[in-house]
Amino acid sequence: MIEEIKLPEISENIDTAVVIKVFISEGDFVEPEQAIAEMETEKAVFEIPSPVKGKITEIHIEEGQEIKVDQLIAKVEIAEGEAAPPKTEKKPAEKTPSDDDKKEAKPEKKEAEATPEEKQSPEPASAPVSEEAKPEISKEITPGKPVPAAPSVRRLARELGVDIRNVPGSGPGGRISAEDVKNFTKRTLSTESQAPVQTLPDFSKWGKIKRELMSNVRKITAEHTASSWATIPQVTQFDQADVTEVERFRKKYGKKVASAGGKLTVTSILLKVTAEALNVFPRFNASLDLQQKEIIYKSYINIGVAVDTDRGLLVPVIRDVDQKNLIQLSVELTDLAERTRNKKVKPDEMEGGNFTISNLGGIGGTYFTPIVYAPQVAILGIARSSWQPVVTENGFESRLILPLMLTYDHRIIDGADGARFLKWIVEVLENPFRSFLEGGRTW
Amino acid sequence: MVNENKSSVAVVGAGPGGYAAAFLASDLGLNVTLIDPEDNPGGVCLYRGCIPSKILLHLVKIIQMAREADALGIHYDEPRLELDKIRSSKEQIVQQVTSGLGFLSKKRKIKYLQGKASFLDSNTLQIKLNAGKEEKQSFDHIILATGSEAVSLPNIKLQSSKIWNSTDALNLKNIPSSLLVVGGGYIGLELGTVYSQLGSKVTVVEMMPGILPGVDRDLVGIYTKHSERYFENILVKTKVANIQEESHSLKVAFDPESGQANEGNYEAVLVSIGREPITNDIGLENTKIEFTEKGYIKVNEQRQTDDSVIYAIGDITGPPLLAHKATHEGRVAAEAIAGQKSAFEPAAIPAVEYTDPEIAYCGLSETQAKENQQKIEVAKFPWGASGRAATLGRTEGLTKLIIDPKSERILGVGIVGQDAGELIAEGALALEMAAVAKDLGMTIHPHPTLSETLMEAAEVFYGQSTHYFRSKRKKR
Repeated sequence: MIEEIKLPEISENIDTAVVIKVFISEGDFVEPEQAIAEMETEKAVFEIPSPVKGKITEIHIEEGQEIKVDQLIAKVEIAEGEAAPPKTEKKPAEKTPSDDDKKEAKPEKKEAEATPEEKQSPEPASAPVSEEAKPEISKEITPGKPVPAAPSVRRLARELGVDIRNVPGSGPGGRISAEDVKNFTKRTLSTESQAPVQTLPDFSKWGKIKRELMSNVRKITAEHTASSWATIPQVTQFDQADVTEVERFRKKYGKKVASAGGKLTVTSILLKVTAEALNVFPRFNASLDLQQKEIIYKSYINIGVAVDTDRGLLVPVIRDVDQKNLIQLSVELTDLAERTRNKKVKPDEMEGGNFTISNLGGIGGTYFTPIVYAPQVAILGIARSSWQPVVTENGFESRLILPLMLTYDHRIIDGADGARFLKWIVEVLENPFRSFLEGGRTW
Repeated sequence: MVNENKSSVAVVGAGPGGYAAAFLASDLGLNVTLIDPEDNPGGVCLYRGCIPSKILLHLVKIIQMAREADALGIHYDEPRLELDKIRSSKEQIVQQVTSGLGFLSKKRKIKYLQGKASFLDSNTLQIKLNAGKEEKQSFDHIILATGSEAVSLPNIKLQSSKIWNSTDALNLKNIPSSLLVVGGGYIGLELGTVYSQLGSKVTVVEMMPGILPGVDRDLVGIYTKHSERYFENILVKTKVANIQEESHSLKVAFDPESGQANEGNYEAVLVSIGREPITNDIGLENTKIEFTEKGYIKVNEQRQTDDSVIYAIGDITGPPLLAHKATHEGRVAAEAIAGQKSAFEPAAIPAVEYTDPEIAYCGLSETQAKENQQKIEVAKFPWGASGRAATLGRTEGLTKLIIDPKSERILGVGIVGQDAGELIAEGALALEMAAVAKDLGMTIHPHPTLSETLMEAAEVFYGQSTHYFRSKRKKR
């Protein structure tokens, strides 16, 4: 029996992935859950495990290739005595004893893979998109599941030379509107025509050059930052906090946190403080819906933390920050940052952030101007703290000073609010009792 | 005269596919020649199929309604049939619609050649006119729309005027006291209904395990129960082994899958076991046209054959062998030839059995979903809960929707009941527009009408039908 391995559903709004590495060759024997390829999307790097034990008979991908969800990756000839994994796992009525055995034998599915597993089975009838694009036979019409678009919309797509099956539908039940087709066409055209906008000189005239393909992370970062820069009127507010006491606290309790498996850092402390600030200033925990002319407030406090990896900048998200204590946050942040660097982070762990913290203090610098990570409306930058002479009643005192920068979307946040927000953070860093005055989750 | 500047198209066969293709091709500015042996466009559908059968079905519906009125306190005498008058009024209606098409063809300046055409090569037709003359003409494109013809029983060699095909039955030569209908498809059942109401004792014999093969069994079940009044007997899983001519009847030997072989005597036998494409004797061997395994002509989405200048539409391209499918294909082919980005890609081809009650369906059926192992939900609204059905005394009906549980999109519609054929068009629109069940449920339907059953079936899906209680569906 031959089992087809296809690219599973990755996460919302992501329908392609780039093949980074292929671990197998034709003729190889694989075990269940053995990684057969490493894939990269704009949100994550992940591995494709073999669902079965068997021999690889065909490989349909190569490194560097961009493949679509549901596209064939490889075929495995299932080893003797091994049944295919139950395709209809979800239907208890149809379960047979052998299905049960199989399920037990199989290592438990990781969470991230639960979705693809579900998505794969229910639609055996729908033909693969790219193959058979031109059925030239007058096969009997099998109604199955036709494209969810009105006849006039299907015609429009043909006229624009767009394969309607590639157009994402925005309507109920995934219905594709004429607008969807036009937008899809525009997007395709604009990505196609973006390159020639900028004509580059021939750099090799002046010396040796080397060209390298942009990684997916690079491409996405380029797109996000450019669109943030182009569409959001951003203001950066600077301030500084005396963190001498914070540092003392950090030193004192660092060991306790370490014994729990985390690292008590300026970032984890600022996660906690910022979470409280977001409760006090809900506008910083919002998004703009320009189409509806509405501000979307969020009751939850999810904060992204910029992580520097060798693949580039990635922003995993810590959820419900305000509901967690400092030890929990430190442990979670340590683990998340680690997994982000090791490509073990799951795509959905990079989603759903309301606000971002970017700490460059570990590297250096006095100040920088972070840019807003849309559709969020603000980002907090942290630079390196330094001992500075501060004038007090007793003359000069040596204090540890932390530079902070807040960049915000001026469409929704006014300058005064920006100053208040950052001031609040500074005050709480200097006097944590300040935070007890107000705040807390209110809805 | 062929205008040299315009691209020329010949359409061979003027059935609902051919004339629709010719008319649209002309409307799109092409120079069109339409070739058919009949006086006027219409083809089998108008001359010997859909239209005459529906005339007869309408007449017998009047008889049936008069009978049913008895129970409501309106009493009619038994009807007296004047067969000549029935025949002539039927022919008059056929004449009226076909000559109307002739008029529309002339108005469009389509060159109508009454005769038969066959290919000399890909572009050239030899046209044998009914008048006797033959002419040879070349065209830029040719649309082939020769349709299909009834299949006769392969194992029966007997030639007899008592063995009918659907055309004979529609001619209404006589009303036999007993009639055997061979083939429990829609043609046999429709004509069986007609003859039963005109006085014949009708028996239906079907080789398959049930009549109307392929149609969802719940719909067929309701039909079968109601149609008992029309048929003496419906024999399933039974073959006709032999037919012998006797002086006033035919002796038919049955070969049932289980049980004893047996015999029956019938004054006439109507053979309605299917239709096959007409692809012989039209010179297709002189073209590059290819065929499917089942003998239909291979075409692409534009209905273009492997011979790029030739398009094929309608019954010759494969099932469903239905007029409206042919018409749509004809329009696609005409648009493609005119350079438009056209394609035959229907979300649904509705089918209607004009039996009593009618059965109509489109899109995915429950049976197909099961075969494909596709996950669906079925929402049924029985007509017992419909006020309109109650006023008509026709509460046996059922409207059901096949729904994708995830997107809630409507994938198929099935209806059995009075006027199901008129109701199904809304289902086809819902499918083409990719409607979700909410769309149908939230569309205000006039009260009291049978169309409400579609809306209420959608409400049943959410467990919120006004007139039918079903406990809430489980959360997925």
